[in-house]
Amino acid sequence: MDNSENTLWYSFLSGDKNAFSVIFKMNYSELYNYGLKFSKCSSLTKDCLQDFFIYLYTHRDSIKEVKSIKGYLFVSFRRTLLKKLKNERRFVGVDVESAFFSNFEFSPEEIAIRQEISAIKSDTLTNILNNLSPREREAIYLKYYSELKVSEISSIMNISYQSVLNTIQKAFKKIRNASENEIISNILKKY
Amino acid sequence: MNQKPNIHLEDLLNDDSFKNWVHESNQNDVAFWKDWIKKHPEHIDEVYTAKAMILGISFKKNSVDTTEINESLQSVLDSISTKPTMKKSAKLMLYTRYALSIAAVGLIIFFSLLNFFAVSGEINYKTGFGEVANIKLQDGTLVTLNGNSELSYHKDEPRNVTLNGEAYFKVKSIPSTKAKFWVNTNDLTVEVYGTEFNVNSRLEKTDVILDEGSINLVFNDGKQKIMKPGEIVSVSSNKETISCKKIEKNNTYAIWKPKTYVFNKKTLESVMKHIENTYGLSVEFDNDSLKYSEISGGIPNENLEICLKAIEKITDVKIEKSKEKLLIYKPTN
Repeated sequence: MDNSENTLWYSFLSGDKNAFSVIFKMNYSELYNYGLKFSKCSSLTKDCLQDFFIYLYTHRDSIKEVKSIKGYLFVSFRRTLLKKLKNERRFVGVDVESAFFSNFEFSPEEIAIRQEISAIKSDTLTNILNNLSPREREAIYLKYYSELKVSEISSIMNISYQSVLNTIQKAFKKIRNASENEIISNILKKY
Repeated sequence: MNQKPNIHLEDLLNDDSFKNWVHESNQNDVAFWKDWIKKHPEHIDEVYTAKAMILGISFKKNSVDTTEINESLQSVLDSISTKPTMKKSAKLMLYTRYALSIAAVGLIIFFSLLNFFAVSGEINYKTGFGEVANIKLQDGTLVTLNGNSELSYHKDEPRNVTLNGEAYFKVKSIPSTKAKFWVNTNDLTVEVYGTEFNVNSRLEKTDVILDEGSINLVFNDGKQKIMKPGEIVSVSSNKETISCKKIEKNNTYAIWKPKTYVFNKKTLESVMKHIENTYGLSVEFDNDSLKYSEISGGIPNENLEICLKAIEKITDVKIEKSKEKLLIYKPTN
C-alpha cells in the first residue's frame, strides 16, 4: 500500500466516515460489475454490496492485516456474495457453487474494439473468451478488467500464485489458437 | 545482453528487455529478441503466449452512475448510524502509531498503563508496528511480544492467554501444581508445561515452533498433537491444512526469537512480508525476480536498520527506506 492508501485505510479503521465514504465510492463500480458477473441479477448484487459495506464498517475492529484495499475488498465481497447466493437458493437442489462460477460471462460491449493481441472482431473475441473455463474467465477478468496483481488474484480465487499464472497462460494459449484459426478461416472464406 | 539458457514463462514476463520487445519501445531489445527467437524456435510458443499475456485484453469498463452510487452510500451511512460497532471486547484499545522511535522507558509506561486501565478483569498488551514488548506475566512466564501484536487474558486466568500476531514464550513451569499454560490463537490452542517456543499467528494461519520442552497442540476440531523440540507445525483453519516438519537443512522455516530472526531457505519475499507485518511498512520490489531469491541465516532483529542491513548483505540487494515504504532493488555494479 502506498502512503495515501495507508492513511485512508487507517482513518477508516479508526471510524472516520469520510474515509469510509471515499473507499465506498472508489470501489463501488468495480465490485458491482464483478458481483454482477456471478449473480446475473442487478438488484441482488446491489443489496449484497450494501450489506457488505455495512458489515465492513460495523466489524472493522476485527479486520487484520491488509495488503491493498482493493484486493481485500474483492476477496471479502466474493465470499459474501457466494454465501448470499447459496442462501437464496437454499431450497433448490442445485449445485450453487458451480452454477455461480459458470455464470461468469463477457459481453461484446465490454470488449474494446482495438485489441493489441490481434486484429480480431470484438464479437469473435467475446465468444472465444466465453469458451474458456470459468476459472480462466475469472482470472482474465481480474487481471485485465479489474487490473489486480497476480498475488491479489491468488488471494481472491484462493489458488496459488503459480496457479494463477498457469491459468492465465492456458487461457492465452487458447485465445491465440482460436483467433489464429479465425483469421485463417476468414482468409480461406475469400476463396 | 547475457545468455538465456533455460527459459520459463515467468522469466519472460519479468524481463524488462522482453517487455520492450513486446511494446517495440527499445530498438536494441527488439533486435536482441528478434535474433533470440530465430535461434530458439523451440520456444516460439512460449514467447508468443508471454507476449499475449503482456499485451492482455483491452476492456471498456462500465461505470455505475454517480447518483446511484451516492444514493447507495447514503443508505449505508444511514444504516451505520443506527447500528453499534462491534468491539472485540470491552477493553480500552490504545492505537500506537509507527513507533520505531519509542524509547524503552516509553514501553514500560505503555504496558503498565494498560494494566491500570484494565476493564472488566481483562488484561491486554498491544504493540504498535516495530515495537517489541518484554512482558513478565503474573506467574513468572516471560513473553516477548513482537510488533503489531496483541496478548490478552482474564485476570482470574493468568495462564490462559490469547495471541494475535507474534510472540516468543518462556513459560515458567509450576511443578508443585503441574499447572498448564495455554496460548489461544484463531487456528489452534497451545497447551504448555514449562518450555520455550514461538507462536506466529497472523492472517489466516498459525505457526508454532518449539525450541525446548514439550507442548501439546489442540486444534479447532478437537484433535491433538504433542510437539517435540525442533518441530514446526503450521495450521490454517480456514484452509483446513496442518503441516508438520522439522527444523533441518532441507526444510524452509522462519523463527522469530528475542534478538534474532532465524530463517532457512525462505524467499526474500516471505522474509520481507514478515517485516511488513511487524513494522507496518509496505515493501516494493523493483524487479519481481528478486522476490524469489532464497535466503537462509539469522539476522539481528532488535532494530529495523540493522535488520535491513543484514538482509542487504545476505541477498546482495539494496533496500531504500522512504517514510513508510521499503524499495528493494539490485545494486548497479
